Formats: sequence, C-alpha cells, structure tokens
Amino acid sequence: MNESKFAEPVLNTDQNLGFFEMIMPPEDISQHGHEIDALFNYTTSLNIFFFILVCAGLFGFSYLYHQSRHPKPYYTYGNKKIHILVSTIIGVAVFIGIDLNITRMSNDDYIGIFTNWPDESQEDVVRVQVLGQQWAWNFRQPGEDKVFNTEDDVVTLNDLRIPAGKKVIFQILSKDVIHSLYFPNARRKTDAIPGRITRMWIQFNKPGTYDIACAEMCGTYHYRMAARLTVYEEDDYNHWLAEANQIFDAINDPEDAKIYWGWKWTPTSSTKKVGMSK
Amino acid sequence: MAFYEQHIHPKPTTFLSKYIFSYDHKVIGKQFLWYGILFLFVGGLMALMIRWTLAYPGQPFPVIGSFLFPETGGAVPADTYAMLFTMHGTIMIFYAITPILIGCFGNYCIPLMLGARDMAFPLLNMLSFHLAALSGLILMGSLFTPLGAAAGGWTSYPTLSTLIGSPGMGQTLWSLAIFVLGVSSTMGAVNYITTIITLRAPGMGYFDMPLTIWGLGLTAVLNAIFLPVLGAGVLLLIFDRLFGTTFFLAGAAATTGTGDPVLFQHVFWIFGHPEVYILILPAWGIVSDLLSFFARKPAFGAKATALAMTSITILSTLVYGHHMFTTQMSPLLTQTFMTLTMTISIPSAIFFANWLGTIWKGSIRFHSPMLFSLGVVFVFGLGGLTGLYLGTVTTDLYLHDTYFVVGHFHYTMAASVLLGGFAAIYFWMPKMFGTIMNEFWAKIHFWITMLGLNGVFFAMMLVGYGGMHRRIYNPFIYEFTQKLIPLNTFATWSAIIMGFAQIIFVVNFVYAVFFKKEKASQNPWEVGTLEWTIPSPAPHYNFKEIPVVKCGPHELGNPNLGNGRDFQYQTEELA
Repeated sequence: MNESKFAEPVLNTDQNLGFFEMIMPPEDISQHGHEIDALFNYTTSLNIFFFILVCAGLFGFSYLYHQSRHPKPYYTYGNKKIHILVSTIIGVAVFIGIDLNITRMSNDDYIGIFTNWPDESQEDVVRVQVLGQQWAWNFRQPGEDKVFNTEDDVVTLNDLRIPAGKKVIFQILSKDVIHSLYFPNARRKTDAIPGRITRMWIQFNKPGTYDIACAEMCGTYHYRMAARLTVYEEDDYNHWLAEANQIFDAINDPEDAKIYWGWKWTPTSSTKKVGMSK
Repeated sequence: MAFYEQHIHPKPTTFLSKYIFSYDHKVIGKQFLWYGILFLFVGGLMALMIRWTLAYPGQPFPVIGSFLFPETGGAVPADTYAMLFTMHGTIMIFYAITPILIGCFGNYCIPLMLGARDMAFPLLNMLSFHLAALSGLILMGSLFTPLGAAAGGWTSYPTLSTLIGSPGMGQTLWSLAIFVLGVSSTMGAVNYITTIITLRAPGMGYFDMPLTIWGLGLTAVLNAIFLPVLGAGVLLLIFDRLFGTTFFLAGAAATTGTGDPVLFQHVFWIFGHPEVYILILPAWGIVSDLLSFFARKPAFGAKATALAMTSITILSTLVYGHHMFTTQMSPLLTQTFMTLTMTISIPSAIFFANWLGTIWKGSIRFHSPMLFSLGVVFVFGLGGLTGLYLGTVTTDLYLHDTYFVVGHFHYTMAASVLLGGFAAIYFWMPKMFGTIMNEFWAKIHFWITMLGLNGVFFAMMLVGYGGMHRRIYNPFIYEFTQKLIPLNTFATWSAIIMGFAQIIFVVNFVYAVFFKKEKASQNPWEVGTLEWTIPSPAPHYNFKEIPVVKCGPHELGNPNLGNGRDFQYQTEELA
C-alpha cells in the first residue's frame, strides 16, 4: 500500500520561530480543542491582572516603605473595619472573578461537550478500541461486520487512521501498566488503565499526520511510546478501510487466539448519564 | 506539676549522648537540618542530571558523568533517567523539604517560641530522627541493588510499581523507606501537636502564638492524619510485591484475582494533596512572621491569617480528586472536586492580602530573611495562580502530565518552600549556632537563586503549555516537541546557575557554623518572640525560668513604647 497517496505529512517544526510562536501549543486539529485554548487564554488574562496587583503591592510597597523613606511604621493590627472589608473584598473578588467564572466555563464545556457522548444509534461515528502496552499502542477498528473482536477487524500497531469531520469514540484499555493516550493536537488525553475501560471522544477536522504520545509514566521506554495519527479526508479513509479490510481478511488467522485482544463494544448511548449540567 | 514545668535532663557529657542520642529538641533540630541539607545536595545533583538529559539527550553529563555511567560514556541511560526523576521527587519531598522545614524548624522553634524547655515527648523525638536516618539509609541503599532503585515516579502508581513493571528490590525498598519515614513523621507530628497544646507558656493563648507555630501545628495535624494513609498504601504495595496479593493488580498479569490500580491513586492522593500543604504551611507561617518582623509593624490581620491557614488545612483534605481527572472519574465527582478545589483560593487570597497589608506602611528592613520572604510571596503568587489551569477539568485534560504541572508544583512546593527554608535558616542562624551569616553573600545567594529558579520553573510551564509531557528521557523524538528544544536548554542552564548559587550558601553556612569568631548578640533582628529573650545560641533547657506571656508575638512599632526600642518582648505588658 502506498502511503503517500493518502497523507501529506504536516510538519510543524520550523526552527526559526519567534518566542511566542515557540511557546504556542501544537496546532489544534480538533473540533473542540479551541474551547480548551479559549479557557486557558481567558484564565491567563485574569491571572495576569491579579498577578500584576500582587506585584504592584509587593514591589510598590517595598519601594515606598523602605526604612530610609518611611522610618515610622503605621502601628495597626489590620483589624479595623476597613481593613477587614478590603481583605474580604479581595478574597471574594478572586473567588467570584476568577474561580467561579472559569469553573462555570469549564463545567459547561465538560458536560456540554467532552462527556456529552455522541449517540451511536443516531449518528455515524467511528469507533476505535485502543490497547496500551509497554511500549506501544494497538488500535482496532471493526471490519465489514461492524462487530468488534472478530477475525475481520482492522488491527494496527502505533498507527491510527481516521476520517476528518467525524466523531471518533475511543474505548481505551491497558494490558500491563497505566498509560495515557495523548493527542497533543486535540488537547486531550485519557488514561489507559488495566482492568477498566475508559472512553474519550474527539472530532478531528484537519487531514494530515500527527503525533500520539503516552503521557503517563509507564517504564523505561515511556518516552518512545509514540504512535502516528493519520487524519484522512473521508473518501481517502473509505478507500484505505476497504483496502485494509481485504488485507486483514487475508492475514488474520481465525484460529489464532492472539488476534482477539479486543472486547465487546458497549455503546455510549446505553450508559447512564451522571453529573450536573449548568 | 503543671504542664509547663518540665523535667530537666542533666547536661550530656559524652559525644554520643550529646550529638547522636540526644533528647534535646535543639540538637534533634540541627540533626534534621544537616540531614536535610545532605539530601538537598543529592536531590539537587539528580535534578541537574535530569535537566542535562532534557537539554542534551545522549550527551555525556559534564565532569562526573563518566564516573557514574561508564558504560554509556557518561550520558545518562534511559533506565537510570527514570530512577533519577523518581529519586529526585522522593528525596526532595520526603528527605529534604520535610526534614528542613518540619524536622528542623519544627523541632527547634516550637519549644523555644512557646516558652517550653523541650518537646512533650523527648524520647519519641529522638526516635523520630533515628527512624528518619534509617529510612534515608534504606532509600540510598536501594540505589545499589542489582536492578537499581525505584523507577516508577515518586507517585509509584501500580501496576508499574508492582512486579509487572518494576522487578527487583529497588521498588520494595522504596516502599519500605517511605513506610519507615511515615512512622518517623507521624511520631514527630504527635509530638508537635501535644507540645503546642500542653506546653505553651502561661498566658499564651493560641492567637498569641507566632504564626510560624500555627503553620507548623497545622502541618503536624495533617501529617498525623494522612501519613498513616500513605503508610497503609505502601504497605499494601509491599504485600502485592512480596506476598502475592492483588490489591492493585489488574489486567493480563492478575492471574489469581483482580484488584484495582486506581485504588492506589485514591489512597496516594488522599495523602498526596494534603502533603502539598504539609510542605507549604510551615513556610507560610514563617513568612507571615518574618514579613511583620522586618516591616516593623504587627502582622496584618494575624488572626485572619491563622484562620485562613486553618481553613486551607481543612479544604486540602477534600480536593485530592483533581489529580485524577484523566482516570475518568464519574462526572459528578469530577465536578465536585473541581469546585472544591476552587474554594481554596478564598483563604489563599485573604492571607495574600494580609501579607501585602503587613508590608503596607511598614518601615521595611531588607535583611536577607526579608528578601527570601518577599521572594516567597512572589513565587507563591505565580505558583498559586497557575494552579487554576489545573483545577479546571477541561484545561487539565490538556495540561495533566505535562511539564506545566511540573512547573506549577515546583513553584508552589520547591521554590516557595526552598525560599521559605532559606529565610528560616538565615533568620534563626544566630539562635541555633550563635553566629550571623554574611549578609552580603546572603543577598547575592538570594538574587541568583531567584533568577535561576524563575528561569527553570517558568520555562517548564512554557514547554508544558507547548505540550511536552512529563518523565520522558528524550523529548525530541516527537514532532510537536521539536520547537521546544531552545526553551529546554534555557531551563537547563537556569537550573545550573541555581545549583551553583547554592555553593555560596553552603560556604556561608559552614563558615558561620564552624569558623566564624564574631558571636551574634541575643537579639540581632530586634524582635519580641520568646526565643529572643534568651542568649544566643539557646542554652541547655532553654529557659531558666518559664516565661509568662503578656502580649502577642508581633508587637513592633508601637508608638507608646518609651524604652528606646521599637519592639517589645512577649513577656512585657502591652504598652
């Protein structure tokens, strides 16, 4: 199979970057990654405001009340009404101004998007099972029968291919130690834990090839537990899937127990919803 | 016998009874100080090796690399790298910061500032240090076992820390060392709490205690409650490793039954989040006092500061789940932990306001302890505010396990606590060793350290925002981390500068302790807490007569004072 037919590698490794380009996070290729970036930037602006206040106090007072400039200190316990009022106002202002604000935003995103699972019976979603192991990622997509853990599944190692513009649901498991499936370009990660299935859904929008990493310490070669994500245009994906189906039909030996590491897919729509919205 | 009339032990005469098997809280405090400084050096050296690898992967570590890693020509090998960051975290948290802030200053300051002759349980106090020493020996010994020391991160999550991921003695010895240290710290904590409750000098109410004691006392409460939890966790881990139980095993290797690796994370972070406050509370207390002492005015809202620290202590026990957002807890739990985490900012903001209120309209003397205290306000401001990104779940989904987290907790735990510890060392030096350290070099030490630590920890947060994840030996095999090479190099050189600045401190310290002829006066900083009413260094059994306390600890700048001083001792009637 000729890979270059489908994907042009997207390199974001220009070495002559300015400082601010250098510290920007990786390119966002997902539908909802920008929500996370927006919250980050919003928090940053509030933080800068409050940190400037702290610095103004710290450096300003240090300058103004140096013993050479201000030999006589103001004798107070800070227990006058006005003092208590100011301290309380600062405390409450920080809590309402920053904390409740960003908590509300984060909660809305979390309940409205990240745990708002696409309904598999209604929507056309791509389903992927992921098995982490020391030190590789196994990906499994169902074959033509649409059923997981059968002999026609498309099983790849460190190589995930999915179509752009469709919601992808991952079910994630680990064989040995805890790993964490990390898509820097989608701002998302979810732990792969032995003995329990975790889930994540992402919609990737921009075709290209990107990095997948393991974010949880998993042993000596943790740093090399890298996989490639290839996002195809939908036609290319269908083309690839058809081809892959044929190949795996031919090479998968139904008698070989080793190919059945997958599990029965539990549709997300059948799970109970917990958690408060707004 | 009233509580505050303690039995006086005879003065020790032999070397052993004076320096090794001493009941004296002052000697035990100094033992912990040397112990902490020794481990600070070991942990710091490990940090430099880690930083070197991150900037120049595969290149030999300068000077000592070829002795340590001859088989790779001096470069840190990948498995050793995992050992290094595991041991760096463990050593810095449990064997450097805890002994210096809690072991040393807890032991040294609590009886002196309360007007007591010793701790409530001197024998327990001695055993506490001996167990800590034993634990340190076990941990260092684990470096020389056949497969090397523990390498699963300081969090030692199973199943990586079970036999599946870490065969060999190292991880077992690590767990054992942590267990023994937990016993040692619990002993210390029980002692501190009892001392604070029973041995306060007559007349001293809880709000007449210096805020240092508030910080140390609250730390002791958290230690006494939560270290046993960690002890239980690592004990179960030892069972899994040695006796074939499966508390934390799951997946393909759990052939005889299934446990749950996430259970350990719960146990660990129930302890682990309070641990953050265990480390920082003494520093907060010390800073609150020092700001007042050197601004020459009473601590602003001292009662509110004490109560804010108390409410943080309580809240800190309710928020641990924010360390586990990516393990996919139930959304309801996630929301709860997120909201509870955010409430911590109310008390934090209040005592920040009080710190600034303390220096407002003061008459500030910029001695080295004051510089370090102001440094704590600065770095803790940065560290606290960057915690917000990690408390909100959606940004945490991106930032969790990246260098952003590393930068954030180094600001809060490493930078703040280290600066607070240095402030304490410079401040109590005259009382501990009878000499004052050189002010000029102390200030140089402060500015270079400040420069270095902001360079390294801020760069860490930036590369974390750039997506670079934690605990990776060579970050540059990924496309998205390529552009972060210059920032990593910058962080490394900042760390090297910071490391070398500590040589200034060590020389200054050792010179003042052993060689300086010029003795410090009884009260060189002109403050009124009880330890300054006795000669420097503090004599055997501290107080000839138990002092009677008549006013608060921060009586400075009172215009009614007519005795030529701008402060008054706690033993004097309020002017």
